[in-house]
Amino acid sequence: MILRDKLQSDPGFQYIIDSLNLISAAGRRALLDFPFLTTPEAVNAELDNLETVIDVISVTDNLHTVSEIKHHLMCLHDSQGTVANLSQHSVINEVELFEVKNIAYTAAAVSRSAEPLGLKEIFSLPDLSDVFSLLDPDNTGLPHFYIYDSYHPDLPDIRKRLKQLQARTDDPEAATLYADLFAQHNDIQHSVEAKLSQQLWASADRLALAVKRLAYIDLLFAKAGLASAWNFTRPQIAPAKQPAEEPQVITQYKGLFNPRLLHRNQEHRLRYQPIDIIVHPGLYLITGANMAGKTVLLKTLGIAQLLTQFGMYVPAESATVSLVDDVIFCIGDEQNEMNGLSSFASEIIKISEVVQLSASQRLLILIDEPARTTNPVEGKAIVQALSDILISRNSFSLITTHYSQLGVPCRRLRIAGFREDLANATLSPENINLFMDYSLVEDNSDTVPQEALRIATLLRCDESLIQKALQHLKNQ
Amino acid sequence: MPFLKNILSSRSLSIVGLEKNTGKTVCLNYVLRRLHELGVSTAVTSIGVDGEQTDSVYATAKPEVTLYEGMYLITSERHYLQRRCVSEILDLSNQRTALGRLLTARILSSGKALISGAAATAILAQQIEHFKQQGIQLTVIDGALSRLSLASPTVTDSMILATGAAVSPNLQQLISKTRFVCRLIDLPEVEPAIRTALYQATSGLWALDSDGLAHDLNIPSVFMLSSANSDLFRYGTTLFASGAVSDRLLKILAAKEEIKQITLIVRDFTKLFVTPEVYNDFVRRGGSLMALRKSHLAAVTLNPTSPHGYALDSHTATQALSDALNLPVYDVMKIEQ
Repeated sequence: MILRDKLQSDPGFQYIIDSLNLISAAGRRALLDFPFLTTPEAVNAELDNLETVIDVISVTDNLHTVSEIKHHLMCLHDSQGTVANLSQHSVINEVELFEVKNIAYTAAAVSRSAEPLGLKEIFSLPDLSDVFSLLDPDNTGLPHFYIYDSYHPDLPDIRKRLKQLQARTDDPEAATLYADLFAQHNDIQHSVEAKLSQQLWASADRLALAVKRLAYIDLLFAKAGLASAWNFTRPQIAPAKQPAEEPQVITQYKGLFNPRLLHRNQEHRLRYQPIDIIVHPGLYLITGANMAGKTVLLKTLGIAQLLTQFGMYVPAESATVSLVDDVIFCIGDEQNEMNGLSSFASEIIKISEVVQLSASQRLLILIDEPARTTNPVEGKAIVQALSDILISRNSFSLITTHYSQLGVPCRRLRIAGFREDLANATLSPENINLFMDYSLVEDNSDTVPQEALRIATLLRCDESLIQKALQHLKNQ
Repeated sequence: MPFLKNILSSRSLSIVGLEKNTGKTVCLNYVLRRLHELGVSTAVTSIGVDGEQTDSVYATAKPEVTLYEGMYLITSERHYLQRRCVSEILDLSNQRTALGRLLTARILSSGKALISGAAATAILAQQIEHFKQQGIQLTVIDGALSRLSLASPTVTDSMILATGAAVSPNLQQLISKTRFVCRLIDLPEVEPAIRTALYQATSGLWALDSDGLAHDLNIPSVFMLSSANSDLFRYGTTLFASGAVSDRLLKILAAKEEIKQITLIVRDFTKLFVTPEVYNDFVRRGGSLMALRKSHLAAVTLNPTSPHGYALDSHTATQALSDALNLPVYDVMKIEQ
C-alpha cells in the first residue's frame, strides 16, 4: 500500500499532503509512492531522518545552506524517462545527455551542501563524478551541455567551416555546401551521442539511485518544513510485541488537532479545542450531541495514524501510536450513485469488508454512525452485531452512534457537548461553537445524550416543527 | 533602417503579423541581424507552438529564424533537436508543450532554428523578467495575433506590426484594416493603480467605483449580457471586461443613456473582436475604451506582395500607409537592402 492509495480516504488528510511544499516533480512522485510503513523499526528509522532534518532547519545559521540545497533541487528535471532509456541501453540525445549531466551536478552539489549540516549520511547520494567528467570534457564545472568540440577530432574543423559558410548563405553554392556540411556535422554529433550513451549505460543504476535519493531529500525537507510550521510532534511508536505482564499496547494523543479544521476556524476567528484520547485495542462506542464533533474525532484519529505510518509527524502535543496494517474510514460519504449503490448499500459493503479483514489483520477502524440510513429496529441490531464482533478483535475500533441501550460490554466515550455556561455571549447559530465542550469523558451508562431538539432550537429551526416534535415525545 | 532606435530603449519586443504572409519572419530575421551587428545582447522566444504557421502535429512549415553567436534562445525540445546551429543547453523547464519541454540555450555559432515557446502570458512575462535580470538587453518574441493563443504579445514593452497585400490587395482596404488594428493597439493604458485593483478580476464583467475599488457585476460572461440589464452602472460607469469583447457588448453599451460617461477597460487589444463599424459607433456616441496593458507600437512593416501573386507598388503603399498611421512604415522586402 502506498500513499497514493490513501490520498482520497479523507479530505483533511489530503489537505495536509497538498500542503507539503515539494520542489521537484520527482519529489512529488516520491511522496505519492511512499509506502505505508508497518513495523516500528521502519517508522522509527524514517522519523529519525525527519527529526535530524527538523533539527537542522530550526537553526537559523543553517538556513542559507538549506536554501542552497532547495535551489539545487529546483533545478532537478523530471528525468525518469531518460534514466530508463539508459538502463534499456538506448542511445540518448543531447537534451537527455544534458539531463544526465544535470543529475550528476545536482547530486554533487547537494552532497557538498549536506556535509557541513551533517546530513550527508542521511542523504547517502551516490558518487557520480565520473559521469559528470564524461559530460564535461572541457572542465567547465557548469551544468550546461552540448556536443563539445573535444568529443570528436573532426568537430572543430567542421564547425569552423560551417561558420565561414553561414556568413555567405546568400550565395546558392555556399548554401548547398553548408547544407551538406551540416548533415555531416549532425552525423558526427549522433556518433558522439551513441558513444557517450554506451559509456553511460553502466551508470544507469547509480543515476536512478541518485534521482530516487534526491526525490527523497525533497520529500524529507517538505515533511520537515510542514511539521515545524504547523507545530506537529514526533509520535512515539508502541513496540510491536510486548510481554504479557507489560501494560497493553495503546495509542494515545494529547492535544490532538485537525489542521484543516484548525485553519478554517482560525480564518473565521473561531475557537478550536484540541482533544486528549487514549485508545486500547478493542471497541469504543462514541456518543455525543449533534455538532459535538464525533465525526471530526474519527477523521482526526485516522489522519494521525496515516501520517505516522507514512513517516510524518502528527498534529498533537504528544503522541504514542500503535501501528496497524491499515486504516479503514467508513465515514458515510461513501455513497456512489455512479455505482448504482444507495448510501446504505455502500456502507454495509464496507462494514462487511471490515468484519472480514479484521479477522486476520490489525486495523484502525473508524465507523461513523453505522446503519443510520435504515430503520432503527434493524439498524440497532446491525450495530449490536458489529459491536459483538469487533469487541473481540485485535483491532482498534471506534464507532460513533446515536443508538441507546446497545447492551455491548465495551468502553464508551462521550463528547462532553453543549454547555451554556461555557461562554459569556448571546447564543446564535454562528457562535454555537463557543458553547461546545469537545473534550472526551468516559461514560458508563448505556444511554446516549438526547439533545437533538435543543440544538435544533439553537439553530433557530422552525418553531412549529419543534413544538410538534416535543408533543410526540411526550405522547410516547 | 532606423526603427531599431525606437526599440533599443525597451527591454522586450514582440513582432506580430496581421495575416499570414505579411513578412513577419523576414522582419524578425532583420531585427535579429541588426541587433547582432549592434552588439545588443538578445534573447529570442515565441508565443505558443501554434503561432500562426506551425502545424504542431508535424512541426513543419514554420520558417526558420537565423540566430547569432551569443544570443539566448527558448524553444521546445523537438525544435531544438532540429536546429541548424551550434548551441549549448543551459536549462530545461518542466513546462511542457505539444513539442516537448521548453529549454533555454545559448548560440555558440550562428545558424538557423525553429522557435516555439510558452502559451501563457504569465510564463512569457517570467521569461522576460528572468532574461532582464540576467542582463540581457532585449527579449524578442515571435508573436501571434491568434485567437488560439492564450498569451498576448502585449506582455512586451514594444511591438512591430507586419501587414501587407495578404491582408487585402486593395490599398484603401489594406490601409483601413491596418489603421483599425493600430488604433486598437494604441488604446490608452490605465493607471497602474487601476491595474492593481483589477488584478483579482479574472472572469466576467467588473465595475470600478469612484474610490477605485473593483466590484464583480456577477455577470459570468459578457456574452450573457442583454440590454435588459439595467443596473450595470450601480458602481459607476467605468467597466472592465476580463475576457473577450464582441460587437454585442459595445452595441449594448452604445445604446445606454450614460454612453458619454462610459469607459470600457479591456485586458488588451487582442481581446477585442469587434468590427470597425461598431467600434466607431461606440466612440462617436462618446464611449471610451482603455486597455489594462499596451505595447508601444514602434513600427509597421509592409509586404507589398500577396501570396496570390498580386503586388502593390512599394513606394506608394508605404507612403500612403505611413501617412494614414502617422508611424514609420517599411517595405519588409526592401529593409534588407
